[in-house]
Amino acid sequence: MSQLVWNGLFVGSFYALVALGYSMVYGIIKLLNFAHGDLYMLGAFIGFAVLGAAGGVSAGMALPLLLFVLVLTMGVTGLAGVLLERVAYRRLRGAPRLSLLITAVGASFALEYGMRAASGADPRVYPVRLGGTSLEVFGARVTLQQLALVAVAVLLMIGLNLLVTRSREGRAMRAVALDPKAAALMGIDVDAVISRTFFLGSALAGAAGVMAGAHYGKIDFMMGFLIGLKAFTAAVIGGIGNIPGTMLGGLLLGLLESFGTFWLGGEWRDVFAFGVLILFLTVRPTGLLGERVTERV
Amino acid sequence: MRKLYGTALAVVMASAALMTAGCGQGLLGGDDAGSAEKKDEPIVLGMLIPQSGSEAAIGPYMSNAAQLAVDEINAKGGVLGRKLELKTADDACDPQTAAAGANKLVTAGVHVSIGGYCSGATLPTLPIFGKAGIPMIIPAANSQELVDQKLKNVFLINGTGSQQAGAAAAWMTKDGATKVALMHDNTSYSKDIALRTQTLVDEPGGPETAILEAVTPKESDYSANITKVLAKKPDYVYWTGYFQEGGLIARQLRQAGYQGKIMVGDGSVSPKLIEIAGAEAATGVYATMTQTPDTLQGAESWIADYTKKFGSEPGPYSNQAYDAVRLAAEAVTKAGGTDGQKVIAALEAIDGFSMFSGPLKFTPEHTLSTGGFQILVVKDGKFALQDALQ
Repeated sequence: MSQLVWNGLFVGSFYALVALGYSMVYGIIKLLNFAHGDLYMLGAFIGFAVLGAAGGVSAGMALPLLLFVLVLTMGVTGLAGVLLERVAYRRLRGAPRLSLLITAVGASFALEYGMRAASGADPRVYPVRLGGTSLEVFGARVTLQQLALVAVAVLLMIGLNLLVTRSREGRAMRAVALDPKAAALMGIDVDAVISRTFFLGSALAGAAGVMAGAHYGKIDFMMGFLIGLKAFTAAVIGGIGNIPGTMLGGLLLGLLESFGTFWLGGEWRDVFAFGVLILFLTVRPTGLLGERVTERV
Repeated sequence: MRKLYGTALAVVMASAALMTAGCGQGLLGGDDAGSAEKKDEPIVLGMLIPQSGSEAAIGPYMSNAAQLAVDEINAKGGVLGRKLELKTADDACDPQTAAAGANKLVTAGVHVSIGGYCSGATLPTLPIFGKAGIPMIIPAANSQELVDQKLKNVFLINGTGSQQAGAAAAWMTKDGATKVALMHDNTSYSKDIALRTQTLVDEPGGPETAILEAVTPKESDYSANITKVLAKKPDYVYWTGYFQEGGLIARQLRQAGYQGKIMVGDGSVSPKLIEIAGAEAATGVYATMTQTPDTLQGAESWIADYTKKFGSEPGPYSNQAYDAVRLAAEAVTKAGGTDGQKVIAALEAIDGFSMFSGPLKFTPEHTLSTGGFQILVVKDGKFALQDALQ
């Protein structure tokens, strides 16, 4: 039982990290950024390239090196997100919502198949792997590296929450989310705030990509597709646009999958997880912590 | 709503029109191929293989080997005084691309098809070659679905799913397994092998099936599935899917503390599996696999010829592709021409033709009657022969 909970929480923390970017972007410009999962993929490949450039490393240096790669990758992926917004979304901001959505789908395909053209269709394997010894915690098998990854994920999420709720930039982001026109009239540079939001969300996705690469080892150009959908689901469960809710949604989806697999078998896992999602949303359409959306006139 | 139906109807009609066009082309090609024999024209062998897409690495192994056989036969004077000619087309391991490629080959007037690697992409080409009356010798694709069509023009020279399941069950019994966990990825190919293995394993006297578990392909984390499988305490885990998931599953099984044995199906036999699983987790993993150049006995001179000609070593399915060309040449010789019906009859009558997989005789289902699968094991970072099961 505790093993199932741990499996669920571990996978869920990846979902949560990726879901945050979805949720923040939706919160601020009401765009479902379908290319978000591919930024996760991009992060994994950037991390792979940096590690390759670093060459062979001794086992003792693996963790500090990975942390360095993590930070670097977050920066680069964040910039890629900003670029994506600048190229694909900014000019369409006033356009009908549907055009923006299709552009996002297009950006997703462009990233996926661009990566295939650049690095080939074969999966790549990270040169530095987190394997490691496992220990028993309340009857569940847990590796130290898994704990480290979850700790990093939690730290990133706490940091993000502090940034959004406590800092000047965060206040500006919340203001734009609430009402972009009024925020602009108050002297907030809306474009800059949106760029910053994309940077943060993409950096988190990039971090998740590197962590997945280091933990699971295998990366490929389609790896962002499925997790993008799952992260989107997690964001909706938690209440899209709401940061703590999104984190909760990620963990919940991870747990649903873990228990669904155990109770009903692998082929029924997604039926179970998404069945619960449908039920849940009919009862509570705004998600776990989502606020009631009042129609704006 | 009406508008939507209108659009859907238009799409259906357009695709129907396309299909008719495809068939028309096919028939036309058939007439062409069946028309009077021209003594000086080459005998054309058509080969559909993945040259792009996820399986693109396999294509050259197969087309190079086929070209090697074609050149060898032509150097000895060809077949019935006519030269052999190889025409390849890309199927990208994708059903639509494969159907287009098959139509292209039929239009180009091929006499025998010797291609087919991905089962899913080969399936839609069967009726296209079939309508044109072209015999197919399929070197690699081996899904049971290809056999179940019971088409007269289709011959498989790779082992099939039921033969693979037989080899898996035989080896696990021989190796002293007691509780077997079967894992598949829910694709028809993988599930078919798992279900057939389950039937064989559950026969009295041998081991028993502890659990049959399906996973979702293309994911990274299989810990939930693995927790479930390990709760049944198996001593053998047999994965029938592909290498990407296979590598992750082998690694995650070991991380979860599983001490028993792991075996994988032929879709997982790839150096990438070892890379993904990591040397430690991969070592000792068994595999059910058809003959590859690595495990062929007495093929050194053939491998040397291939390497000399193409500057690289042969790979998976090189030997089957090479044999497909030789078999096609043999059948055309016996049939005394390229007439489809006569070639099919000649293929059915073949008995004892020497191939890498052993002497050939087709079963009534047009599959191999002997040989096919053997057991490999990962040793020193690569797959090596463990047991030929003969």
